[in-house]
This record gives sequence, C-alpha cells and structure tokens, in this order.
Amino acid sequence: MAPALLNRARVIDPIFQTDNYQLARKLLDAAALRHEAIATNIANAETPGFRRLEVAPDFAVQLKARVTAGDFVHTAGALHPVLAEDPTARSIRPDGNTVELERELLAMNRNAVEYDYLTEIVSNNLKQLKLAITGRTLT
Amino acid sequence: MLFSFPVNLIAGIDITAGALSANKTRLDIVAQNIANAQTTRTIGGGPYQRQVVSFETELIRRVAGGGSSLQGVKIGAIANDRTPGQQVYNPQHPDATADGLVTMPNVNLSYEMVDLITASRAYEANLAVVKSARQMAMKALEIGR
Repeated sequence: MAPALLNRARVIDPIFQTDNYQLARKLLDAAALRHEAIATNIANAETPGFRRLEVAPDFAVQLKARVTAGDFVHTAGALHPVLAEDPTARSIRPDGNTVELERELLAMNRNAVEYDYLTEIVSNNLKQLKLAITGRTLT
Repeated sequence: MLFSFPVNLIAGIDITAGALSANKTRLDIVAQNIANAQTTRTIGGGPYQRQVVSFETELIRRVAGGGSSLQGVKIGAIANDRTPGQQVYNPQHPDATADGLVTMPNVNLSYEMVDLITASRAYEANLAVVKSARQMAMKALEIGR
C-alpha cells in the first residue's frame, strides 16, 4: 500500500475499531437472527410439540465478558449468535407447544425497535467519519 | 454446487412464506368443510367426512455456529375426522335408510367457525412478521444515509 493510503487507513480505521461500532455490528447480527427465531415461533404457533426458539443466552454472556476483558475489537470476530430452545417457556396447552402469540408479537416489536436503534448507531458512526472528511454535515 | 445466498435480505421471509401457505390451506379446508356441511352423497359413498389439517415442522436452515436450526411449517397431513355423523330422522330424504334415518356429515359449524378465526388470526400474525422484517430491511438499507 502506498504511504499516503496507509496514513489514510490509520485515520479511518479507528472509527471501525471502536467497541461501540463492533458491538453494534454483533448486536445487529443477533437482532436479525432473533427476528428469524420469532418468525419460526409464529410460523409454528399451531405445530404440536413445538418448543419456542430464542437467541442462546450464552451470546450476551460472552459479549459482556469480552467487552469487560478489553480488546473486544480483536476477539469479536469469533463470536456468533446461535439459537436455542427457550428452557423457561412452559406450555399451558394440551399439545405441548410453548409458543404464546402475544408474547412473540411483543418480542418482535421490541426487536424491531432495537434493530432501528442499532442501525442508527452504525449510521451515526459513518456520518461522523464523513463529517471529518468533508468538514460539513450531510444534507 | 449452486451459489445460494446464506441470508435473505428480508430476514425470515422463507419461514413465514411456508406458514402463510399452510394457514391458507387450512382456510381452504374450513371452506370445504362448511360447504359440505349437508352433503350426504360423496364419490366414496356415504356422507361427507370432515377434513382435519395437521401441521408439522420443516427444516429451513441451520444457523452457522451450531445451536437450534430455523424451522418452517408445512401441512403434515389432511385426514378424515372419524367421528360418526349425526343420524337424523328424515324419511323424505333421498338418502334415507329403510327406517327413515339419514347419516349427516360430521361437520360441526361451531368448530369450523373457531378454526376459521384461528387460521385467519395466525395468517395475520405471520403477515405482521413480514411487515416488520421489511421495515428492518429498509432501515438496514438506510445505514450511512
């Protein structure tokens, strides 16, 4: 890489290497996956014996551990959200299905708001970078 | 191997699509049951038998990194309801037996109405999922704007 380009990379990289930006990325992945889990739950709301899915709680634990340990930016790559059956959900129906439609719809709305919030964070990070480059806000 | 997108732009739309079509089939079956509530003569002989739909899960996609996989839903079976139909005394009916009894279909209109409402509510819930997924995709496209 030419020296001039290398210098520019050093200026731009820090924006993408902040904890917040990387966290937002990981949480966006998790939110997209959670939406698919909710889609699965609602699709199977009437399937006998179906147990509701959820993003595995281990993901949040790992995320927190890595942020508090520092150097999140370099260890975040290996962390992927996965799905698991919700062990806390109890069935109140004779067919053993643990999906409650109202609960899923609430979770879906909550997740959509979270997703909006995270896209906003990523957007603002990029806008700051553009402001630094051009010296003016985008219209 | 054919290249395929690992992730849809609109999250979960493949799952919801299956559920929508399964619930549509259920509505069709309800319509068929209600339409045939008085049918005493069928191709197989005897009165119409109520059809019942059962759903089963269908693997859609495994999640990278393990854990549970995403499951859609499909129609598992459309089976006959084996409950015996009600016998009505109606000697004028062309299908009446020698002692004037007619075996009516085992369709109970109240059950069908309940099924109808459940199926259409399930359909609506799945539509809400697509709507929300679409808004999320639009938000993702607005990143950096």
